[in-house]
Amino acid sequence: MTKALTEKALTRREFLRSATESARDSLLILSTPTLLLAGQQAHAAMEAGEALTTLAAGEAAEFAAIAARIIPTDETPGANEAGVIYFMDRILGGSRAEFLPALRQGLAELQQSANSSYGSPSFSSLTADQQDSLLRTVDRTDFFNTLHYLTIAGMFSSPALGGNRDRIGWKLLGFEARHAWMPPFGYYDAQQMETGE
Amino acid sequence: MAQAPFPTREEVDFVVVGSGSAGGIVAKELSVAGFSTVVLEQGPYLRPGDFSHDEWDITEDEGLAWGPRKGHPQTFRRHENEKAEVADRAVLGYAHNVGGSSAHFSGNFWRLRPIDFMERTVKGEIPGTTFTDWPITYEELEPYYSKVEWDIGMSGLAGPWDPPRSRDYPLPPLPVKASGVLLEQAAKKLGLTAYPQPHAILSQPYNGRPGCINCGFCNGFGCEVAAKSSTAEAMIPQALESGNCDLRTGCTVSRIETNSAGRVTEVVYWEKDGTEQSQRAKAVVLCANGAETPRLLLLSESSQFPDGLANSSGMVGKNLMFNGSSSTAGLFEHPVNAHKSVPTTRVIHDFYELDPSLGFYGGGGIDARHLNRGLPMSFAMRGARFSGARWGSQFKQEIARDFTHACSFNGHTTTVPLASNNVSLDPEVKDKWGRAALRTTFMNHPDDFATMKFFAERGEELMEAAGATEINSSYNSTGQMGGVHLLGTCRMGNDPSNSVIDRYNRAHDVANLFMVDGSTMVTSGRGQPTMTIMALAFRAADNLIQAARRGDI
Repeated sequence: MTKALTEKALTRREFLRSATESARDSLLILSTPTLLLAGQQAHAAMEAGEALTTLAAGEAAEFAAIAARIIPTDETPGANEAGVIYFMDRILGGSRAEFLPALRQGLAELQQSANSSYGSPSFSSLTADQQDSLLRTVDRTDFFNTLHYLTIAGMFSSPALGGNRDRIGWKLLGFEARHAWMPPFGYYDAQQMETGE
Repeated sequence: MAQAPFPTREEVDFVVVGSGSAGGIVAKELSVAGFSTVVLEQGPYLRPGDFSHDEWDITEDEGLAWGPRKGHPQTFRRHENEKAEVADRAVLGYAHNVGGSSAHFSGNFWRLRPIDFMERTVKGEIPGTTFTDWPITYEELEPYYSKVEWDIGMSGLAGPWDPPRSRDYPLPPLPVKASGVLLEQAAKKLGLTAYPQPHAILSQPYNGRPGCINCGFCNGFGCEVAAKSSTAEAMIPQALESGNCDLRTGCTVSRIETNSAGRVTEVVYWEKDGTEQSQRAKAVVLCANGAETPRLLLLSESSQFPDGLANSSGMVGKNLMFNGSSSTAGLFEHPVNAHKSVPTTRVIHDFYELDPSLGFYGGGGIDARHLNRGLPMSFAMRGARFSGARWGSQFKQEIARDFTHACSFNGHTTTVPLASNNVSLDPEVKDKWGRAALRTTFMNHPDDFATMKFFAERGEELMEAAGATEINSSYNSTGQMGGVHLLGTCRMGNDPSNSVIDRYNRAHDVANLFMVDGSTMVTSGRGQPTMTIMALAFRAADNLIQAARRGDI
C-alpha cells in the first residue's frame, strides 16, 4: 500500500465511527414515525387504487398480505412499506404477465384453505399467525415460489421498478447505492491498514 | 473512428464471427496488420455510458446475456438417451454484445501452468474420458500471456506464486478487501499462500482508460468507467481506427458456405431487421465461443460435410467443460462489505495439483469473494445462508445481518473432458431466427465431484482459521446444469481423427477455416479460462498473419 493511499484512507477508528453513525442513521430511518409514515403512504396509495394497473384491489390486498409475511414488518419496515405490491402490479402487467393466471389460481386455492381452516375466504383478514400457518403448508409450491420471487425482487431491485420505496430493501441489508468506493471497504482491511498486519 | 465499409460481394481477407474475448483480439490484430476484416457480432456495441447497475435487468431480464426471454431458448439433458427440456435460463451463458463476455466478466485472470498442457502424460490416463495433452506447451504460450497483460491491461503482483513469466504486470494489484485480508490471515495459519488476485481491471489509469472506482458491479455487469479491460474497450477501438475493420453489429450468422474444393467461401447472416446478407472472404475465423462455434459448424452441414463443417473427427461440440466450484460462506463479527469493489482480491493456488494418492484427478484455486455476486436481490433470493430460512422474521433478520458481515471462500476447479458431455442441435426447439436451439448434454465425471468436495472441505478449514462464527460449505453434488466457461467443444490437437483444429487453430478438414475461442481448449484449466482464451487468440492471430502473408489462407 502506498503512503498516499494510506493517508487518504480512513483510519480504523474513523471507519468504526462512520460505520456506527451510519448504523444509527439507519435506525433513525427505521424509527417508528418514519415506519408508520411509509406504511401509511403505501397503504393509502393502495386504498386509493393509485398506480394499480394490472391487479384488482381485492387480489392486490391478498398478494400484498402474503408478501408481508415473506418480509414482515417488525422492528424494521418490510414488504408492505417497500411497496412491493406496486412492483408486482407493474411486472405482472408487463414482462411477467405469464405468471398471472397461475397466481390467481393459487390464490383461489389458498383462499379455500383459509375458509376451510379459519372460516374466512380472505387471507389478508386472518391473523399473522394464521397466515403463517397457512403459508407453511404451501411454501414449496410454484404458487408460493413465484410470489416469493416477486416479493424479493420488489423489495431489493431498483426503486425505479416500482418497489423498494425509499430504498427500504437496500437499507435493510446495509447496501448503499453508490457508484464508487474507496478503501478500506470493511473492518478487517481497515484494521490491516492501521496495523500493517 | 474510421470504419471501413466493405461490399459484401467483394472478397475480404477475413470474416471474424464474434467480437468477444477472442474475436476482439483477432479483429484488432488482423486489421492493424493491414488485412481487410469484417466482424459479425449479433449484439450491439455498448459503451460505458450504456451500462447500469440495474440488477433486475441483468440477472432476470437477460440485459446482456440473452436467453429464452430474448428469443434464444436452450435445452438441457443429463444423458444422450434422454429428451432435452427447455430451460428457464440460458444453459450456456454468455454476453451478447461487442466484447462478448469480456464486457460482463469479473476479470479474474489466471494463466494456465506448464502442467495443464501435459497433464495426461504426467498424471496418466483417466479411463473412459478424452483427457489428453495439448499440442502446445506453456512455453509457447507464455509470450502471449504477457501480451494479454500489457495489451489488454492487467493489474497484479508478480511473485513466487506465478508460473514462469517473462515480464512484470503493467499495473499494481487492486486494493485488498476485508474478505481478502481474512483469506490471507487464514492461509497464513494453515501454512498456505494467499496472493493478490490478478485482474483484467485497471488499478490505475492505463492506455487512456481510468482506474477502477470499486463500485462492486463487475460480475455480470458492464463497466461504467471502462476500467474493466473488455475487448470492446481495449481492442475494438484500435481495430476500427486501423481503417481495415468493418464491425457489423446486430448481425447473426446462419451458416458458412463452402465450394466444391471444400473451402469456405462466404458467411451468410441476418441483419437486425432480418435482411439476409452474405460476406465473401478468403478465410473465416470463428470466435463465437464454446457454444456458438460448434452450433454454427453443425448448422453448416452440406452433402460434402454431412456431419457438420470440419467435423470428420466427430469431435465438434464434444468434450464440453465448464469448471467446477465450491462455496464456503462464513459469518464474521465485524463488517466485511464484500459487495464493495471487485469480487475477489486474494487467491490461493496451493491446491493447483492434487496428490494422485487421493484417488482422483483434479485441482484448483480458492478465492475470497461476496455471496451471490454481492447483489442485494440475488443475495436475498438465495435465502438465509446459514439457517436456510426463506421467509418470515428469521429470514429477514439473517439477511439483514449477513449481507455486510459474511463472505465466501470459493473453490474453482477442473472438469474432466468427456465425449458424452456436449453441445448439439436440438431436433425440435428453434430460436427466434429459426435455427436449431443449443442442446446441452452434461453430467460431471466422478472426479469432478471429488475435486469440488475437496475444495469445499478446504474452504471450511480456511473459514474456521479465519475466525468465522457460522460456516456453510456447499458444492454441486448432483451435477452442473450449465455454465459460463464454455470450453473444449472444438478441441485443438495433432491428430485429425480426434481433434477439430491443428496447433495453429486451422480446421483439420477445411484449409481456410479457423476456430479461436474457448472451444479450442483441450483441458479445462483450474477455473478462470478467459486469460488463456485471450492468449490463444493473440497466438492464433500471429499465426494467421504469417500464413496470410505467405499466401496460405
